[in-house]
Parts: sequence; C-alpha cells; structure tokens
Amino acid sequence: MLRIDNLHVRAGEKEILTGVTLHVAPGEVHAIMGPNGSGKSTLVQVLAGREGYEVTAGSVTYQGRDLLALAPEERAREGVFLAFQYPVEIPGVNNAYLLKAALNAIRKHRGEPEVDAFEFLALVREKMKLMQMDESFLSRGVNEGFSGGEKKRNEILQMAVLEPTLALLDETDSGLDIDALRVVANGVNSLRRPDRAIVMVTHYQRLLDYIEPDKVHVLAGGRIAKTGDKSLALELEKRGYDWIKQEAA
Amino acid sequence: MSVAPALQANATLERYRTLFEERFTSGPLLEARRDALDAFLKRGFPTQRDEQWKYTSLRRLEARTFVLGEAAPVSLEPARRPWITHGGGFRLVFVNGHWAPALSSPMAQPPGVTLVTLGEWVKHEPDAVLEYLAQASHRSASALEQLNAAFFEDGLVIRLSPNARVDDPIHVVHVWTSTTRPAMAHPRVLVRAGHHSSCTLIEQYVCCGEPESFTNVVAILDLEEGAQVQHYRLQQESPKAFHIGHIDVCVRRDARYGIHDFSLGATLSRLNIRVRLQEPGAHTDLHGLLPPSGTQHLDTHTLIEHIAPHTTSTENYRGIADGRGRGVFNGKVLVHPGAQKTDAHQSSRNLLLSPTAEFNAKPELEIYADDVKCSHGATIGQLDATALFYLRSRGISEADARVLLIHAFAHAVLASVETPAVREHLEALLAARFGSTQVTS
Repeated sequence: MLRIDNLHVRAGEKEILTGVTLHVAPGEVHAIMGPNGSGKSTLVQVLAGREGYEVTAGSVTYQGRDLLALAPEERAREGVFLAFQYPVEIPGVNNAYLLKAALNAIRKHRGEPEVDAFEFLALVREKMKLMQMDESFLSRGVNEGFSGGEKKRNEILQMAVLEPTLALLDETDSGLDIDALRVVANGVNSLRRPDRAIVMVTHYQRLLDYIEPDKVHVLAGGRIAKTGDKSLALELEKRGYDWIKQEAA
Repeated sequence: MSVAPALQANATLERYRTLFEERFTSGPLLEARRDALDAFLKRGFPTQRDEQWKYTSLRRLEARTFVLGEAAPVSLEPARRPWITHGGGFRLVFVNGHWAPALSSPMAQPPGVTLVTLGEWVKHEPDAVLEYLAQASHRSASALEQLNAAFFEDGLVIRLSPNARVDDPIHVVHVWTSTTRPAMAHPRVLVRAGHHSSCTLIEQYVCCGEPESFTNVVAILDLEEGAQVQHYRLQQESPKAFHIGHIDVCVRRDARYGIHDFSLGATLSRLNIRVRLQEPGAHTDLHGLLPPSGTQHLDTHTLIEHIAPHTTSTENYRGIADGRGRGVFNGKVLVHPGAQKTDAHQSSRNLLLSPTAEFNAKPELEIYADDVKCSHGATIGQLDATALFYLRSRGISEADARVLLIHAFAHAVLASVETPAVREHLEALLAARFGSTQVTS
C-alpha cells in the first residue's frame, strides 16, 4: 500500500531524513519510535503534504501512485489521514461544519453521493459514542478551548468518520491520561481492517499495550535504524536508544 | 510659485462658500450655519501633518467639486433595494440626504419613542434646534463637523422616553442614487435615550449604481442613567464615494452603549467614534470590521474617555486587507484623573491577504489614574499556515480553506451582532466579498 524508498528530506539547510525506506502492507499496523529530533514527525508530515520540507531524493508510492506529487487535499481524498500531534484551534469554523465538509469532499472524489444532514448526524453520533464525546462538541469551534485530551479524541473522531485507507498518527498518545488513552486506543482499534494500514509515531511503549503493532521501527539519525516486532518496543523501554545509535554507527 | 498650492486650496474652499450662499439665504439657523462655515473655512480640511490624519489623506476629496444632493426617486423594485428590507422594524429612508417618506415606514410612533426628521424639527422648532446646535458645537468642534453644521439639512431625531423599551430596531437608511454630478450630504442623527430606556439603532449607508458622493455625517447620542443602546453601523457606499462619519456618545450612570462598525464600502472612509463614560457604572463596547480591498482606504479612529470611576470598556476590531487596500485603526483610551477602577480592554487583529495590502493599527493608552486595569493588543499577520494545512489535510481545497479561515476571522466581530436581520445581511455581504466555499456542509 505504502512504499517509502530512500527518502531524503530537508527543512531549510537542515537534512532531517537521510534515506528512509519503509514498506507498509494493507491491514498492517506499524509503530515508529525513536529519540527526540530523529525525524518521526517530519516523516508523517511529509507523507500528509505539509509545506516547508524539501524532498531531495527518494520516492513515496501510495497505492501505486506517486504520493509526493499530490496536494495535501488530494492525498486526503485518496484516503490518507494525519492525526495531528498538535491539532489546530480554528474559532469560527465549527466542528460539525468541518467534519461534514471533509466527508463530502472525500465522497465526491470517490464518486459517491454527498451525505445529507440526517445521515451525517446519525453517523457522527455513532462515532462520538465510540469516542465517548459529548454532542455539544459539534457546535463548538474546531478544537476551540478543547483540553489536550479532547483535541486528541477529536482527531480520532475525524478519522473514524472519514474512514481513511492509510492513517498516520503523530504522537496521538502524548498528553493523555490512562482513561483517555484507552478510549483513543479503542477508537483506533475499531478502525483496524484488512484493507487499511496504520502508521503511528510514538515516544512510549505504553500505547503499544493497547494498539498492538505488526512492526516496530526505530528512527535514528534520519533513517530506520532497526526494525522488529513489539518485543523491540519493550527492549527500548528497558535499554533506551543509545545502543541502537551505536549499532547503526 | 510657492504660494500657488495655498491659493489653489483657498479656491477649493471658496467653492463651499459659493455653494452655501446659493443654498442658504434666510431662516433662523442662518447665523449659526454661517459661523460654522467660517470656522470650517478658517481651518480647511485636515492634512496629514495633523497626527489624527497621519495615515489618511483627504487631498482627493478636497480636489473634487460637489453639489448638494437633491431628492430623487429610487426606481429599484423592493426586492432589489440594497438595504435590509425585512425585520428592520421602523425604517426611515433618506435619498441623497433628503427624507423619502414613500420609502419609509409610516410615521406611526412606537410607544415611548418620538421620531422626527431633522428637516421637520428645523421647520417646527427652530429655537430648540438652535439651542441644540449651540450645545453640540462644544462637543463636535472639528473642521469636518463644522462643515456638517454649516450644511446639514436632514437626518433623524430619536427621543426615547424614560423606561421606554423599544424591541423593534430603528433603521435609518441613507441611500445615494446615480447623480449626474458628484453630490454631497451632511446628515445628522441625534439620539436622546431617557433613563432606563433601550433601543437598537441600525444605521445603513448604501447606493444604487456607483455614484460619486460625499457623505459627512454627524451622530450624537446621549444615554441617560441605565439606558441601553445597541448601534449597528453598516457603511456600504459606492466604490467612488467618500464617507466621513463622526459619532459622539455620552454615557451616564450604569448606561451601556454598544457599537458595531462595519466599514465596508467607499473609496475612502473615515469614522471617528468618541465615547465618553461620564458617570460611574457606564459601559461601552466597540466592535469593528475593516476589510479594505482593491484600492480602498478604510480608517476608523476611536476614542474612549473614562471620565468617572468604575467605568468599563471593551474594544474588538478586526481588519482584513486585500489587493492594494489600506486599513487604519487607531484606538485611544483616555483615563481621566480620578477615574479609578477603570477597566478597559482593547484588541485589534489584522490580516493581510496580499503583499500589496497595508494595515496601520495603533493602540494608544493615556492614563492619569493609578488604580486601573487597562490592556491592549494589536497584531498584523497572514493566514495561519498550520490552520490552512490542517483543513487541506482533511480534504478541503486550498481555495476553500482560505475562504473558511477568512470568514472565521471575521466571525469574531460578526458574532457580536444580535439582530438576526442585520446578521444575515452581513453574512451575505461578506460571502460576496470573500467568496463562499464550494464544499457542501
């Protein structure tokens, strides 16, 4: 589904990714871990189309297409979804409006009829229940005045409504207490399907107790330094990252 | 050679004298008018050397010759009229500066309210008008206000009896029709709100076609103890119009005055708002949206004077400058000696949508009391790149995302509008101006 080959990315003068190669098959869940500043967030942001990064070498193929040639909104309509590490507050645009606009943009692109107000509300209510969110969220500004945990829940709610093919989660677990983490993990797990892939960036092994990954990668020095299964995450928890950096050097 | 510009300026001003002598030849107000004219001619139009006019040049206005506006029919069918036509309450329409009874609501007075056109008031109670003018001249002494005092012919006088609560808005429409020659009008709006009375005033400046016009309006409002006035001001003049407005408000004990300034039209617009919080408990809030586009120049200067202790004010202005548009916001808060426990907050946020757009935002605090709470903030920036990316990453096109963010920015001011008819009208105007999204929501 997703093939990243030898990806080099720089931001200004700084080289951040120095040859990332990563292949993700449908139905798989991949976790990307690594020390601060190793380029984890950069990788998922580049995949979602964030401006300000320059791809200097390598390629990214998504469902057989050159992902990097698409605008961010085209990627979204093709089924790529990024759950932001810091979801943006947009007072004046309400949550329901954004969700419905996004859903209809994607449906239109797929050649499906747009949903009407009733269908939309029924769908969102069901997903909000899953995320244990109060309906009053819908009429509030996008993320306006939300707590850190509410913002993360809202990201997963959007993901549940938009049903992406490739979900990218950027530190969705950070800043969550244990109850909120369980709710968010539940939401993500409910979206696991044989035709959907999930790539999640995380600092902590604890997320992986709730969302079991097929593969765990360690990103260090701008490239994948080590790949393993979930036991690698436990080892990292015990030993830290230094041994991997030394191994890679 | 060096005297030529001065001579030329005088020649321009002399045109106003000629016009005056043609129009006003007798009547009880003649002397007061002439005094005002002399005061104006002595000072002339303000120049950019005047600190208050540093960013706004009136040279284009000064160079033009205007005749006085004449009454004319409005041929537009009701559905196509440019003003708010439903839910407007009591509507009074002035065409080219003159009351148009055929377009106005029948003058059936809502209980507790006296509505009189200024023209009628001058006709029937000239002494009262003279007395009022003498008082007003102390309050409104600027050259342009003197110009208004010399030439004013019509307008509206609103008196609210004590305890009168008027639910339906009072809607004043000033409309310019296409005129063969550039024309001017100097209307007045006078409001006296008796103690514990309340009303909503909608002031709307519109046009049919694209007339070259010059509006120089003075509004004077007095709020007695406990009175409440919500004042919506929609300036939607022609792209060839010059619009100058002066609002002078005196707020007494526990009274509340709110103004919502939507300066949208005209090639050059300047609004001066001065609110005096005269007695303890007086409160005012000022909301404004200035969206200059094309080559528009939109300027609002506000002055809030905290004269008595325990007075409060909040101010929220937003600017959205596009094309080669230029916006100016100057917000001054003056806390007089002894006005302890003053609470004043001001925010001015401005968005530049093009590299050639410009905005000058300047907060000014002058505080002569020591136990006060005053804050201000002014920002100028572009659309938030992270928010744009966030919306696009949800499948919304870049163009739609921009439109959404611009409307969201303007929403902060629009949210202050409580009268549904005004809000709907503004939403339609802003959609026409900033575009609407292609997405179905």
